Amino acid sequence: MNKVPQPNSLSNWYLPGIFKGLWYTLTNMIKNIFNRKAMPTLNYPEEKYNYSSRFKGNHILTVKKDGSLRCTACMLCATNCPAQCIKIDASEHDDPEVEKFPIKYEIDILRCVYCGFCEEACPVDAIRMGPEWQTPGLGNANFTYDIQKLAYRANLKGGIQSAVDDKERHKAGI
Amino acid sequence: MPKCTINGTEVEVKEGATVIEAFKKMDEDIAHYCWHPGLSIAGVCRLCMIDVEGARGPQIACNTVVKEGMVVTNQSEQIKDIVKWGMDFHLINHPLDCPICDQAGECGLQEQYMKFGQYDPEMDQRKVKKRKVVDLGEKVVLDSERCILCSRCVRFTDEVSKTKELGIFNRGDRSEIGTFKDKPLNNKYSLNTVDICPVGALTSKDFRFRQRVWYLKNEDTVCNGCSTGCNIKVYYNEDGLFRVKPEHNEEVNGYWMCDDGRDIYKFANKDQRLLKAKKFDGSTWLEMTAGKAMQDLHQNLFNDVKTNCSKVGVVFTGQYTNEEYANAMQTFKSLGVASFFEWNDSESTKDEFDGLLIRGDKNPNTKGLQDEARNHSGLKSLSDAISAVESGQIDTVFVMAPENISVYPNYQKTYESLSKAKNFIWFGANKTEGFEKTSSANTYLIPMKSYIEKDGTFSYHDHAQKFFAVTTIVAGALTLSEAMTLFQGKELEFELRAKPMTSLKNNHFTLNRGKL
Ligand code: SF4
Ligand code: SF4
Ligand code: SF4
Ligand code: SF4
Ligand code: FES
Repeated sequence: MNKVPQPNSLSNWYLPGIFKGLWYTLTNMIKNIFNRKAMPTLNYPEEKYNYSSRFKGNHILTVKKDGSLRCTACMLCATNCPAQCIKIDASEHDDPEVEKFPIKYEIDILRCVYCGFCEEACPVDAIRMGPEWQTPGLGNANFTYDIQKLAYRANLKGGIQSAVDDKERHKAGI
Repeated sequence: MPKCTINGTEVEVKEGATVIEAFKKMDEDIAHYCWHPGLSIAGVCRLCMIDVEGARGPQIACNTVVKEGMVVTNQSEQIKDIVKWGMDFHLINHPLDCPICDQAGECGLQEQYMKFGQYDPEMDQRKVKKRKVVDLGEKVVLDSERCILCSRCVRFTDEVSKTKELGIFNRGDRSEIGTFKDKPLNNKYSLNTVDICPVGALTSKDFRFRQRVWYLKNEDTVCNGCSTGCNIKVYYNEDGLFRVKPEHNEEVNGYWMCDDGRDIYKFANKDQRLLKAKKFDGSTWLEMTAGKAMQDLHQNLFNDVKTNCSKVGVVFTGQYTNEEYANAMQTFKSLGVASFFEWNDSESTKDEFDGLLIRGDKNPNTKGLQDEARNHSGLKSLSDAISAVESGQIDTVFVMAPENISVYPNYQKTYESLSKAKNFIWFGANKTEGFEKTSSANTYLIPMKSYIEKDGTFSYHDHAQKFFAVTTIVAGALTLSEAMTLFQGKELEFELRAKPMTSLKNNHFTLNRGKL
């Protein structure tokens, strides 16, 4: 627990506090100049921190073997999402084995709190939280991620395959 | 009136009532799929098992008539076991479809599994695959894998709609619901089969995949699709209304409603509505709020109407509430206006009745309108109004337009004929895009609330029903009474009413987020 310093007779004065702060800055600067390795600050964006590959960052919608979206539009993720930032519109698929699929899947990424509840709720491993954590954008950037961005953005190289496959499940008699 | 004891409590039931009815009367839990209070007894699901004191073994509650002094329980371990493994039997071939199944959230299997099942399945054989997404007719889709063969839908088409389209085909684990070859399920009551299907085997094409049921709140109201006035529940959320289901009322509609009535939510939704008042002053259309438009109307026309009262006509339709008719007719009478007209596009069929629910008069409140008009100078026909406008006898027309315009085939034509009047004031809930340009007069279009958004009373053919506002869809719209108050230059009085959030308890998933 942090101790909150109580005001004392010295803190009524302006200059002692200023000098204390300047002294702190000066000692740290000298330490960093002579021992740069121990410096905790990174020169982002030239230097980047490597998080673990299990870091839960930006969402990925997985795909089936044929490259189409794995999501069945069950809306369990949207139901479970505490930030209510997932919007899904479902529609009827031509293939009766698929039946239902999302025609719109949007995550308002600025409202997302990265809790991972969506990933946990999904019954078919259709949404995952990937290790990618940078979400910069300029003033007019679009922070509502759509299917194109969530499933097929360039660095996913054509999409990440889901671990759950309906055809295999059916073959196994489920 | 025989008395029996259900799980230790004595209850008195009607002569000839079954044990399951006694359970329902007591609000005691009992597992069941095939029994439905509005249908005959089939006794096929074998889940409503009970112990009757003195009987040889377990019985089914839905087909056991209560006898004086009967002692019944379904709490014994043996009964619980029978129900549990009976449920397992029903689910042997049931697919893992809940994520894509429209019924999830209101499914008999899900609910009763949580209450009475909760077993670990012991079946190690492959599931039998059946047809999915079978088109049964214009409105209904069948998934035979999900069907548990309770036969409710078959009994409905046999006994209630009497159209006999559905049947159970094949035998054993290959049994399937289906229609006879050239006879699709296209009767006027077909969507009731979707309501009574305890699982997601029958789904409605209109509602399919549009919402998850747990995102919807529901509220009771009545149907305004015809002069029967079925009791209904509307399901809605902040995006508007999504579906309509019947509510039980023995005196009006029993457990059912017709398919046309299920479309009434459509005209009330925002995309069909007049959102803002509009005024045409001879050259341009001005948009304004409804209140502003009524003030404007008061300044421009109120005194005119008073001085020229013989040249003013008011056209009513049977789609407003008794309270509004009383208010409007009183207002116009006090101004000296005596020409009231009735516009009803289903005039010619108004006495038709199909023997079950559907009536030919497609207005909920023709009777209320006529009753109220009897206190004044009565109602003349619409053709009188049109000829009076054409001959110049009437130069100011107020039209209380219908909201359910799907039963008004002459909607646009009537608008065009009446808008030839010099001053034309149209009160309506529906948008008028497409034909409003034809008017050349001093025209006002005032947005009205649909009946979903207001309190009131409808007088149906032989009974009256009061209903309450469900939700607000177009915030700026007025009721006819409010419009009349503003027309007289008075201020509106608002009554703030805290509404009990009864529907919240239905939203189990949202309330228990994280705990499930
Ligand atoms: S991580 Fe949490 S807040 Fe973000 S979309 Fe998923 S459930 Fe919603
Ligand atoms: S991502 Fe998963 S949980 Fe969300 S709608 Fe799709 S299938 Fe359902
Ligand atoms: S019928 Fe019920 S149990 Fe079966 S898939 Fe649909 S929601 Fe799930
Ligand atoms: S389709 Fe539904 S109502 Fe008809 S038999 Fe099957 S489960 Fe019962
Ligand atoms: S409800 Fe009694 S056997 Fe189905």
